[in-house]
Amino acid sequence: MAFEAEVLEGAIIYSNLLVLLSIGLTITYITTAVPNFAQGSFAVFGSYIALTMLRLFGIHPYYSIPIALIFGGLLGVAVYLFILKPLIDREAEIVILMIATLALDLILLGFLGAYSDYLGGITKKAAKKFIFTPYDFNIGNISAIFIVSIIVIAIILASLFLLLYKTKFGVALRASMENPALAEIMGVNVEYTRIFSWFLSGSLATVAGCLLPFRQEIVPLTGSIIIVSIFAASIVGGLASIYGALIGGYIVGISESLVTYQLSTILGSGVLVYSKVVSLIVLVVMLILAPQGLTGVKWRKIKWLKSILS
Amino acid sequence: MAQEYLILDIVIWFGLYLIVCISLNVEYGFGGIPNFGRALAVLIGAITVGGIVNRILMATFGVSGGIVEASGLVKSVTNEIIAANPAIGIGILVASLLLAALLGAITGALFILPSAKLSEDYLAITLLAISEVMFMVSYYNTDMIGGYYGVSVPNVLAFVPGEQRLSIFALIILLIAFLAYLLVDRVTNSPYGRLLRAIRENEMVAEAYGKNVMVVRIKTVAFGSAIAALAGALYAYYSVNVIASSFSRVEWTFYPFLMILLGGLANNKGVIAGVLAFVTVKVLLMVYKFEITAALHLPFEAVWLEYIMFGILMLIILIYKPEGLIKEKPIMTDPIKRLVDKIKKAK
Repeated sequence: MAFEAEVLEGAIIYSNLLVLLSIGLTITYITTAVPNFAQGSFAVFGSYIALTMLRLFGIHPYYSIPIALIFGGLLGVAVYLFILKPLIDREAEIVILMIATLALDLILLGFLGAYSDYLGGITKKAAKKFIFTPYDFNIGNISAIFIVSIIVIAIILASLFLLLYKTKFGVALRASMENPALAEIMGVNVEYTRIFSWFLSGSLATVAGCLLPFRQEIVPLTGSIIIVSIFAASIVGGLASIYGALIGGYIVGISESLVTYQLSTILGSGVLVYSKVVSLIVLVVMLILAPQGLTGVKWRKIKWLKSILS
Repeated sequence: MAQEYLILDIVIWFGLYLIVCISLNVEYGFGGIPNFGRALAVLIGAITVGGIVNRILMATFGVSGGIVEASGLVKSVTNEIIAANPAIGIGILVASLLLAALLGAITGALFILPSAKLSEDYLAITLLAISEVMFMVSYYNTDMIGGYYGVSVPNVLAFVPGEQRLSIFALIILLIAFLAYLLVDRVTNSPYGRLLRAIRENEMVAEAYGKNVMVVRIKTVAFGSAIAALAGALYAYYSVNVIASSFSRVEWTFYPFLMILLGGLANNKGVIAGVLAFVTVKVLLMVYKFEITAALHLPFEAVWLEYIMFGILMLIILIYKPEGLIKEKPIMTDPIKRLVDKIKKAK
């Protein structure tokens, strides 16, 4: 299988962004036990922040990343405090929490759609459908988005690692992820860790959203399409493991891009719209073979693997 | 005249949504299966009419070519035949409904297979993902049901004068909704319905009593999807065309969840109340959207306002009134009735 460098580059950019989204989804799933169906719309929220900065103030999307990060974090915290916390306090079932995030997704879609009409009206430029590729440039032979997305993911992973493993807060955070009741007895404020996880999840999603328009066209409804890939990535990784989300993000992102590209060379470019079918197939195969995800598989207990290794 | 149309619109949407909501109530309200892919079954109903019945008619009349153009031709030929012979129109409608229910049941059972054993969150995610992807494929693939071009569908009431078509169609939809309601009401009041509630409350206990939870789930989703597919087929014949974009997650998954939560879960009468309340508001919003946009000086389309409003309504229900308008009642089997009588006498 030979891929053009461009295709591989695109696959890696997309996977980097997907990893940001699936790590965010996984973190809130671990702390609050609810899969956030609005994660895709969180990303589109980020895209619209970048678009606003670009159209109204002429700020390049790369410089909007810190702003998006803060707004996304605040959105995440608001969602937790005003929507999920009241429900968790009432001991609502997990399905009710999921429906609440579906409702949130719809509300966000409504706001993003309304805002896109409004922004389009005042700037007289299309805001319902936009793409940032004309604003990208090349550094040497490589597109800037490739380098930026790698730098962003490297910084985020490094700081996440430092935070979780090298600080006292990180220890408390991991403790309350593993066993909230026990952590609470030891004096950890589980509430803080939940709020923090939603801040993190929201900010990771909006940062990904800031960069996503360099890869694909954004419409207000993009969130409900990309959510399939995010879920596939998180489930492949096991839904409850941050490492899993990392591995899953790359597996789903790369296979989605490369398998669809490979198919398009055989069947023609018409199949490119079916990239999400690939994600879905990966998801379903994973659920049948190992519903606990890659990190849930007890690799050492698989006999044939053992015989190969020894 | 305008008022008459308004009422007919409400009746038609009430019937369509009632069918979908009672099917969802069996699955989620009674069985506790969070089917976040309800829209898929409705889409299957529409595909039955737009993709399969259309192709059968194409083969019958020897029309060839792409489905988008051919469906238009088939439509005019079929309409003429139906206008002369009403029985054929009714026959096509009934046959399509049966076929839609059959295909709905098969797809429902197939698509829950990978996740039937899993916990609720995995189940919901998988069903939503499958439904979203199917929606996208049928929208972008123009060979199946015409994709973004859509396909035409014969007017099964071509023998009825134009001005009466809408009222008669409203009656047909209401009739089928009523039949579906009776069926679901009977099923949910049977031992099977009680088994569903038992599984919802505690899977382990049901399994300990020798019930196979996975098989019950598959059967339930097949049953629910068969009913929901009826709504898709009816909607296709009502609007005399099929376009994939009308079968979005918002319209056919989220709104049905909103209606059954509004009315009260596991409670078929509650569903009627929820659907009626929701549909009235929605139709009024649809009809007066330009007036609303103008009156409020909205710098955007009214549909976004609709999304925000119904999203917030859902959150309000979940947080402040989780039991809905009408609460779920205990099941009055004979032994329980006797027990209640005893307690009353003792007092």
